[in-house]
Amino acid sequence: MTTKDIGPKNPVQKGAEATIDYVDDRSGIKTGTRWFLFRNIPAGTSWFQTLGFTAMVVFGMQAITGIILAMYYVPDTKGGAYQSIEYITNEVTWGWMVRGMHKWGASVMIIVVFLHMARVFIWGAYKYPRELTWVTGSVLLLLTMFMGLTGYLLVWDQKAYWATVVAVNIFASAPILGPYIGDILRAGPEFGPATLSRFYSIHMLVIPGAIATFIGLHLYFIVRLGISEPPWSKRRLRIERDEEDARRAAAREKAKALPGSVNYPASWPVEAKEGAR
Amino acid sequence: MKPADKKAYDKDYAQAKKTGKPFFPYAIYKDTIVAGLTVVAIIILAITIRVEVGEPVNPATTDFIPRPEWYFYFAFELLKIFANQNALTPVIMATFMVPNIMIILLVVWPFIDRGPERRIWKRPFALGLTVIVTGMLCYLTWMGANSPAGVAKGSLPVSGLDEQATKGMAVYMANGCGSCHMVAGVGAPGPGPDLTNHGSTGWDQAKLIAWFKAPKAPMPSYASLPPQDLQDLAVFVGGLGTKYK
Ligand code: HEM
Repeated sequence: MTTKDIGPKNPVQKGAEATIDYVDDRSGIKTGTRWFLFRNIPAGTSWFQTLGFTAMVVFGMQAITGIILAMYYVPDTKGGAYQSIEYITNEVTWGWMVRGMHKWGASVMIIVVFLHMARVFIWGAYKYPRELTWVTGSVLLLLTMFMGLTGYLLVWDQKAYWATVVAVNIFASAPILGPYIGDILRAGPEFGPATLSRFYSIHMLVIPGAIATFIGLHLYFIVRLGISEPPWSKRRLRIERDEEDARRAAAREKAKALPGSVNYPASWPVEAKEGAR
Repeated sequence: MKPADKKAYDKDYAQAKKTGKPFFPYAIYKDTIVAGLTVVAIIILAITIRVEVGEPVNPATTDFIPRPEWYFYFAFELLKIFANQNALTPVIMATFMVPNIMIILLVVWPFIDRGPERRIWKRPFALGLTVIVTGMLCYLTWMGANSPAGVAKGSLPVSGLDEQATKGMAVYMANGCGSCHMVAGVGAPGPGPDLTNHGSTGWDQAKLIAWFKAPKAPMPSYASLPPQDLQDLAVFVGGLGTKYK
């Protein structure tokens, strides 16, 4: 404790500190959190590197709005599913808003994940040592798209129903494994009540669980390897300039050492000087 | 990357970290701002553009427009490009080959592109790929968004229909066949092939009815239609371009 820490403490604070210390002794949570928060990242870390975190926050929001929707939604093909969606939209307090946020959140998540991936691609941030970060990320992209596919059916309206029939047919048409995948998705040879229950559990349990797991793996790699530096950070550009200067100086020395050669100005490109020789 | 390149990268990155800044607050504050703005944008969208409740499902009337969410439009458009089922553009390209090749490329990309260069202007192939793939996705999504949403109601510009064929056309219209197929310029240009001249393919009624009941993907099955309707439909489709023009 620091020297500012004098005089009797208020008992609440004393109790809180004792509790934190008790937990820290057993879990290392204080040390871990401090290490996580105050570990260094490259100075050039940019605004483009906020998109992954944003995807994570939107996923969290989808989980919260999704839990609220699940409190009212009924996966029943005999009108129950459709009625529960109507009820959420028209009767439940703020229901329309929660449904709207969930629906728009899905679209925004796709866009944010795509932009995040584009950032990683353009920066070459998937290269050594971050190859596996990319692999876990690409699984996350596929899972996010599957989330959209399975969620679409749940409202059980004409458009969603028929679009999903077509989509499942496409999976079922794949060679060899296709028919099995089709049966698994449909929960049998026909589209019906079992299909809706299955999509419901895939949409709210299977895929979110998989996404949470893969976000965990993704973050493990990110924290362990460190966030990459922009390839054109100030520090990198300075190094490149210094390297270029050194190369020029070396070439000039070489040119001087050759008898009878012309002394080129230092600003000349190295290639031109070498070509002239 | 060669071992020497890896070592050089590790050294350079360690240097970047040593001369860096702490994660908190320097990265956290940017993260919070962007994520916060995104959440606010979602709330504004939810309030201003309300999500509607659609028509309830009715598997008996297959009068439907099989439109997916906008982020699957590109796949939907792909189906249209490969709708014609001929040797050059088999539908399996759109349902299986192209998507799976894309997925595999996506996952294994870091093991294909292993060069040490990270600056995009020195990676012309990666830059070209970014532009082409993003361009294709935007183009196909835009095409999907602008494809005809509805199906012409009433009748098709086809003449010479006898009684059974007229009934068949009614079945065709009532079941939304036109949301995937075109006849005499009316209907959607895909994912299904143009049926204007289907009569000239020589498919007999039995073959057509078998197809309606168990078609190839992505077409859905119409096995639930009454047998009489299926027969009328087969007469109508079987004569398109030959008897009924
Ligand atoms: C649900 C989806 C995803 C979430 C929540 C997520 C989350 C994150 C976060 C928080 C970071 C830290 C840096 C940053 O924000 O840019 C990150 C980095 C990274 N992500 Fe993702 N990500 C997702 C999808 C993807 C996808 C689709 C890919 C690529 C196929 C990917 C590849 C990477 C890579 C390679 C890094 C390391 C980049 C670096 O160190 O500069 N991620 N991700």
